[in-house]
Amino acid sequence: MAAKVNRAPGGSANSGSANSGAWKRFKSQFTLQVFAWMGVAFLIIFCFIPMFGIIIAFKDYKLTQGILGFFTSDWVGLKWFSEFYHDLVFWPTIRNTISMSLLKLVFTFPVPIIFALAVNEVRISPIKRTVQTISYLPHFISWVVVSGMLFSFLNEQNGLLNQALLGMGVIDKPISFLSGPQYFLPIVVISDIWKEMGWWAIIFLAAITSVDLSMYEAAKVDGAGRLKQIWHITLPSIKGTIVIVLIMSIGNLFGGGISGSNFDQAYMLGNVANNSVSEILQTYTLKMGLSQGRFSYATAISLMQSIISLILVSTSNWISNKLTGTGLF
Amino acid sequence: MSAKNPNKIRRTREDWAVDTVVYIIMAVVFLACLYPFYYSLVISFNEGIDASRGGIFFWPRKFTLENYQAVFKDQNLLKAYGVTIARTLIGTVSSVLFTALFSYALAHKNLMGRRFYSMLLIISMYFGGGLIPYFILIKKIQLMNTFWVYIIPSLLSAFNAIIMMNFFRELPAELEESAKIDGANDVMIFFRIIFPISKPVLATIALFNGVGHWNAWFDSAYYVTDKSLKTVAFRLMELVNQANLTSVSGADAMSQRAGTMAAQTFTAETIRMATMIVVVVPIILVYPFLQKYFVKGIMIGSVKG
Repeated sequence: MAAKVNRAPGGSANSGSANSGAWKRFKSQFTLQVFAWMGVAFLIIFCFIPMFGIIIAFKDYKLTQGILGFFTSDWVGLKWFSEFYHDLVFWPTIRNTISMSLLKLVFTFPVPIIFALAVNEVRISPIKRTVQTISYLPHFISWVVVSGMLFSFLNEQNGLLNQALLGMGVIDKPISFLSGPQYFLPIVVISDIWKEMGWWAIIFLAAITSVDLSMYEAAKVDGAGRLKQIWHITLPSIKGTIVIVLIMSIGNLFGGGISGSNFDQAYMLGNVANNSVSEILQTYTLKMGLSQGRFSYATAISLMQSIISLILVSTSNWISNKLTGTGLF
Repeated sequence: MSAKNPNKIRRTREDWAVDTVVYIIMAVVFLACLYPFYYSLVISFNEGIDASRGGIFFWPRKFTLENYQAVFKDQNLLKAYGVTIARTLIGTVSSVLFTALFSYALAHKNLMGRRFYSMLLIISMYFGGGLIPYFILIKKIQLMNTFWVYIIPSLLSAFNAIIMMNFFRELPAELEESAKIDGANDVMIFFRIIFPISKPVLATIALFNGVGHWNAWFDSAYYVTDKSLKTVAFRLMELVNQANLTSVSGADAMSQRAGTMAAQTFTAETIRMATMIVVVVPIILVYPFLQKYFVKGIMIGSVKG
């Protein structure tokens, strides 16, 4: 191709006018430009067109209007937002979204750090490696499978947990974990910890292994025990990593934190009986949009979620920059 | 690790306490992560009616292959398995290739418009249209109800593109320059030189991609209505949803189903478990390969993402 002409590809071939230089450069990288444009075309179609589609939240859009209908359909202002706000499900859905997200943030986030610290204290290499390897296996299994396991573990007829509790005499009749609303959030939080703990511990462990070992030696000379070493050396050293992962979690708070599991969990584990706590903005968007065909209304609900979470990320990032000097942007 | 500690004088009481707690944590994590898989395996090899009585923990009480026979006799499920294998293979190869070509182009510092292209990529990582506009798009560009709805929308992954770009950028520029002097064009350079030396990175991304394709059920549930195009992850999702319904209604659908035919002993639960095992086994098989590389992958991602 043009490579033979221009031996130093894109080099400072400033001969002639700037225009012909740019053209030459473009010609010499024509193939690469094609590669880039294929990707750009993909991004425009699958990312930017849907992004423009968000305006149907303020319009009266019908599916028959096609993609151009994003722009040509009639404006209705904040009609859908107001309708959702006045709907009886508004506050419960917002409350469920927030409580599910916050509970997962508070309980799921610290566990990988604690686990990573514990793994780091293991002195027997094979045990360390085996446990770590096993611990991130659940990350690769889908929530569908995890839910399938949960149904076998927790069901009323022959679930393991009920059998165990009955056997130990803790309860005298089986508990309906799967349909009791009060059990939904604990199940969601614990299963999220189970699935993602090992995976996110990898990041923290990598940060721990890059801590300067001489610091520990110095601490030992000063008489610091292992707990003191963890508290005064390891934790401060991985503070930056912790903050970044925390901001990432807050950034995707409504999606379900770092693992982004809110939708899958609410969809798979939610049912008629626990609907009062398991209906979140995402599942409600799905119901209104794809099941009932109210596209504009559903888009408004989903936009509302995005706006709230954008505010949350910006705020947490700002606070983090103020307090620790680290932030995502 | 630090076994060769020169000032290892004596173990203090604190050492004992820390070790005890740490090893208890290790044991609990080990069991908690493995046992659910093992339990599913045990139930999948047990007779269904017998299993519904409970009391099985470590070993099948009435061993049978019937559950698996039923699973493999189900034409719908076999078909779905085929669709899943096809989408995983085609989807992974095409996505890795497409993303790699894009990243390779953007890894060139002198590429005209590079900043603009990267900007689009970064924006796409943080913002999107959400479910509904995306659904409308899929419908309007006629991807609905085709096999390609599994492949085309996941051709480019911004996250993977950034990992690949970082990798390509580290490669020595001389490799490419000397090939150009020898008269190779960009396509040849990519496939003959860049591709082979990037194998570790591409393999890692391919494995992750493959697992994602294998587990994906949402597109099959909402973008495809044709029964013969459903994936196995979707079929399993249906079975799990049935279990969810059963748990609410309290109706003992497990034994009902078994009662329909006297010769059958399997139940909804044992069939579900056997299907689960069939879905999970391929992931467990690639797991050793996955974990060989991914620590690096997740680290790059965490720094950039």
